[in-house]
Amino acid sequence: MTISGEFLAFISLALVAVIGGVLLLNLTKVVHMVVGLVFTFIAIAGIYILLSAEFLAVVQILIYSGAITIIMLFGIMLTRHNDEESDSKGGGWKKVLLFLGVLAFGAAFYIGIYNLDFGTEPAALHEKNTEQLGVALYSDFVIPFELMSVLLLVALVGAIVLSRNDGEKEGDKE
Amino acid sequence: MTGVPVSAYLALALILFCIGLYGALTKRNTIIVLISIELMLNAVNINLVTFSKFGMNPSITGQVFAVFVIAVAAAEVAVGIAILLSLYRNRKTVNIDEMDQLKH
Amino acid sequence: MENAWLIPLFPLLSFLILLLFGRQLKEASAYVGILLTLASLVYSVIVLAGRLQGPTFKTEAGWLQIGDLQLTVGFEVNQLNALMLVIVSLVSFLVHTYSKGYMHGDERFPVFYGYLGLFTFAMLGLVISPNLLQTYIFWELVGLGSFLLIGFYFYKESAKQAAKKAFIMTRIGDVGLLIGMVLLFWQTGSFEYDDIFAAVEAGEVSGTMITLTAILIFIGAVGKSGQFPLHTWLPDAMEGPTPVSALIHAATMVAAGVYLVAAMFPLFEASETAMMTVAVIGAVTAIFAASIGLVQTDIKRVLAYSTVSQLGYMMLALGSAGYVAGVFHLMTHAFFKALLFLAAGSVIHAVHTQDIEKMGGLWKKLRLTGPLFLIGTLAISGVPLFSGFFSKDEILISAWTHGNTFLFWLAVIAAFFTAFYMFRLFFMVFAGEARSQMKNVHESPVTMTAPMMVLGILAIVAGYVNTPWFGTFLGDWLVEGNGHGHTEGPVWIMLVATLVSLLGILLAYLMYGRRTMERDWLSSRLPITYSILYNKYFIDEFYERSFVYGAKAVSLFLRFIEVFLVEGLLKVVVGLVQGLGRSGARVQSGQTQTYGMAAFLGLAFLMLIFAITGGYFG
Repeated sequence: MTISGEFLAFISLALVAVIGGVLLLNLTKVVHMVVGLVFTFIAIAGIYILLSAEFLAVVQILIYSGAITIIMLFGIMLTRHNDEESDSKGGGWKKVLLFLGVLAFGAAFYIGIYNLDFGTEPAALHEKNTEQLGVALYSDFVIPFELMSVLLLVALVGAIVLSRNDGEKEGDKE
Repeated sequence: MTGVPVSAYLALALILFCIGLYGALTKRNTIIVLISIELMLNAVNINLVTFSKFGMNPSITGQVFAVFVIAVAAAEVAVGIAILLSLYRNRKTVNIDEMDQLKH
Repeated sequence: MENAWLIPLFPLLSFLILLLFGRQLKEASAYVGILLTLASLVYSVIVLAGRLQGPTFKTEAGWLQIGDLQLTVGFEVNQLNALMLVIVSLVSFLVHTYSKGYMHGDERFPVFYGYLGLFTFAMLGLVISPNLLQTYIFWELVGLGSFLLIGFYFYKESAKQAAKKAFIMTRIGDVGLLIGMVLLFWQTGSFEYDDIFAAVEAGEVSGTMITLTAILIFIGAVGKSGQFPLHTWLPDAMEGPTPVSALIHAATMVAAGVYLVAAMFPLFEASETAMMTVAVIGAVTAIFAASIGLVQTDIKRVLAYSTVSQLGYMMLALGSAGYVAGVFHLMTHAFFKALLFLAAGSVIHAVHTQDIEKMGGLWKKLRLTGPLFLIGTLAISGVPLFSGFFSKDEILISAWTHGNTFLFWLAVIAAFFTAFYMFRLFFMVFAGEARSQMKNVHESPVTMTAPMMVLGILAIVAGYVNTPWFGTFLGDWLVEGNGHGHTEGPVWIMLVATLVSLLGILLAYLMYGRRTMERDWLSSRLPITYSILYNKYFIDEFYERSFVYGAKAVSLFLRFIEVFLVEGLLKVVVGLVQGLGRSGARVQSGQTQTYGMAAFLGLAFLMLIFAITGGYFG
């Protein structure tokens, strides 16, 4: 394996992504965690570019780094977080057990994928990527696409209903 | 043509997935749990995109699915946060271990 | 005769009616009981009259079919059954009538009549059963009736104890009966009397087995008839109301043991050992109970021991091959002993005490009860011309001709004792001066005296159905067609019997009537003997020390096992289940993360196994 520019880019992006994830796990303040994860999201956008998915990369940055992170931050702001992420009592053995479980899970999958090679020629997805995606969406996947719009609408309405302050009566009580 | 093997992308996705999983199952703050789930979805997306380029039948379909996943994830986060806020209004907490109505 | 099965149903009907409507009927329930037992009596007499001419009638219907095995129910009217039917229904009817006066004013009047009905039903059912199984069912039912009636005054501690004692003591005998029954069934494959006898006659059953089953069945009879050594319950059973003592513990139920031996007579006849056992137990019981009766001071207890003694006579008769003598004495005894009990009840009713030391001089006050009691006493003492004389004579003849000389003399001595203690009782109650203040002593109402008069007449004349002088009508009829045999004996036996009974009466008269002899001249000379007799040979105490303490020791030991072993085990099991439940409850914490973790760990474990064994990814 020669050290190419692509490989370097992959290594650095992967490193950033993993570090972001580890930060998520180890930081104590909720806001810091979220910010740490933003790095991961951006790094993943980079990985998408490496995988010749420019449109997805942009969407990733827009939605994850932008929209979702902002929603999370709003959620954090609207709720109280006086307690720092403290170790819950008696949860130690549970974490260890889960860590071992996750390691086992990872190991099991790694055995499956570490030498995986389909040996097929990569498709030319980077040429007119957005156009290809658009054509696919509006031809083969038009029904899922429309369904997705319905889903988004329902989610929108549901979110509004759920987070509504249940009228003035409840508000007065509080 | 490429110096990066398929397994490298898959391994990265695996690591991110494991991190997300561990976070989702251990963190006590509900918001962090939600974010961890997003991380897991992202790991899945990486896999989809990888297979769309290097898979058995490389095609744009993988990317289309990734788009759908992102859309669903966005919807999920919106609803999740709404539920969280609603819960918070009633219980004045975001700690997941205090939300144990399921046992009653 | 085809409808003889109706006879037991009348009292059952009475029982059911009183059970359901007793509260409303109150004292009127007596009429229900009296009328329905009268119906039984009338029908029994009709059946007896029919049987006098006609042959044995027997009918059966299938009850259970188990494999090749057919269990049947039915009824049989042979000589013995027909006679028993009349005796039982007659005494029951008279006691029903008598109780109307005796139990007057009792709170649980209808209940009493209900129990009487139940008992009469069971007893009548017992005597017409054609097979052992049915006999056993009614046998137990009779025991239940006896238990309920002894414990009728259940608020009295002694009555409660007596009821329990009666139930448990008879149960010991019943176990013997049950085992004997099962053994017989095993050997002959049938519960039917006829089949069993046929099998025994055909020699299908080995000699030892016959002896064994006969003795086991005899143990059942011993328990029911209060024979030594299971006799202790019978005197205690006098805690029940006096009419009950007359009906159950004198005339009918205790005679059931004798009846059983009589009904199974062919089986006993086939085994010399069994016959000998019956005879010895009977003779020992006769003299043993009679000697206790000599010194008792409770009027009903004296009668109870006399009952035990007379039942011993019957067993002696049966054991000496005197089938007729046993059944004959059973009949006469039923009449005169019921008379004595009813008369004693009348006395108790008048003076409200059972202690004969406190009575005396009642002859003038109880103008009817006194002579009737005298008739009963004469009859039981075996004074010539009264019924007891003839039947007792038959027994003595049987014992003599069967060759049991020793038993014969035992019986003669017992006859002497009987005469003595019965007249001692009579003189102490009726003769002389009142030994304590007796107020308001008055004769009993007519409902009580009328049954006594009927029984008094019967106590005199019942003997004449079978006498050496006017023909042995009963004996001939009883042995007709079953060849149990009937014996003639030398005349001197009759003279000896008369002599000893007159001697006993004379002695009693001298000691208690004329008082020319000191009352305690014997007891003061033989204080130990007196004390032994007064305490009934310490049998009760012996049982208390041996069986009761033994059972208590065993139960203490078992309790120890129970507490430490069984409950310990139980605690372990309970703890296990509790622990399991607690951990299970902890799993149900409502923590979604824990649930997710459990699910994920399971998945990880599966994946690991797949990876190691090279499942999908290999």
